[in-house]
Amino acid sequence: MLLYSTLVSAYFGILVRRDRRDQFRLAALIWSAMVGGTLILSFLMYPFPG
Amino acid sequence: MASGAAQENGESLAGTDLVRVTVALAAGFMFPGLGHVVVKRARRGLTFAALILACFGLGLVHDGRLALRDGQQPFLSTLQVVANVGVGAPDVVARWLVYGRPVYSLQGEPSLGAFDERNDILRARARSAVSLYGTAYLWTAGLMNLLLLFEVWDIGVGRRD
Repeated sequence: MLLYSTLVSAYFGILVRRDRRDQFRLAALIWSAMVGGTLILSFLMYPFPG
Repeated sequence: MASGAAQENGESLAGTDLVRVTVALAAGFMFPGLGHVVVKRARRGLTFAALILACFGLGLVHDGRLALRDGQQPFLSTLQVVANVGVGAPDVVARWLVYGRPVYSLQGEPSLGAFDERNDILRARARSAVSLYGTAYLWTAGLMNLLLLFEVWDIGVGRRD
């Protein structure tokens, strides 16, 4: 998940932004959303039986 | 920049070298990042090539499924094939390595248990514990490359620097 998020966020950061600093910031935002969102969702699903 | 803004407003593509843009799109489809090289954005193209090929390589080592069109689920399986094929030549090479030749559909009649060997190969890869991750990597690589073609077009017609 971490590796996948890193690749995808780097791709979109570079694709959407031109300035190096903006690219990094967008990539960090996307990465945080992907990893954080997954962790939050998995935590919310924890009480439900598999 | 001025002509780029003009084109962004829906004005004509006059002055655009459509042959070069078409070649760039074809090159970009054939190999990730190559379209950017054609429109003189080699460094950017190499960066994207590295990202997409890394994603594709991770998909292969994680036993990702190289989708085959299945007559029983034509719509979904075709979308999967499109996502795979989007990465271009690396997908052809990967199919050659996995299936022995570049194949894109299942053959035979499943109800008779007569699917050919490519179905066995596909199922064997799908049985791997990490196959789902690998498949996600493969689809992502293909779709990222297809999305990249839009940027190649934008650069080619002067909408983007």
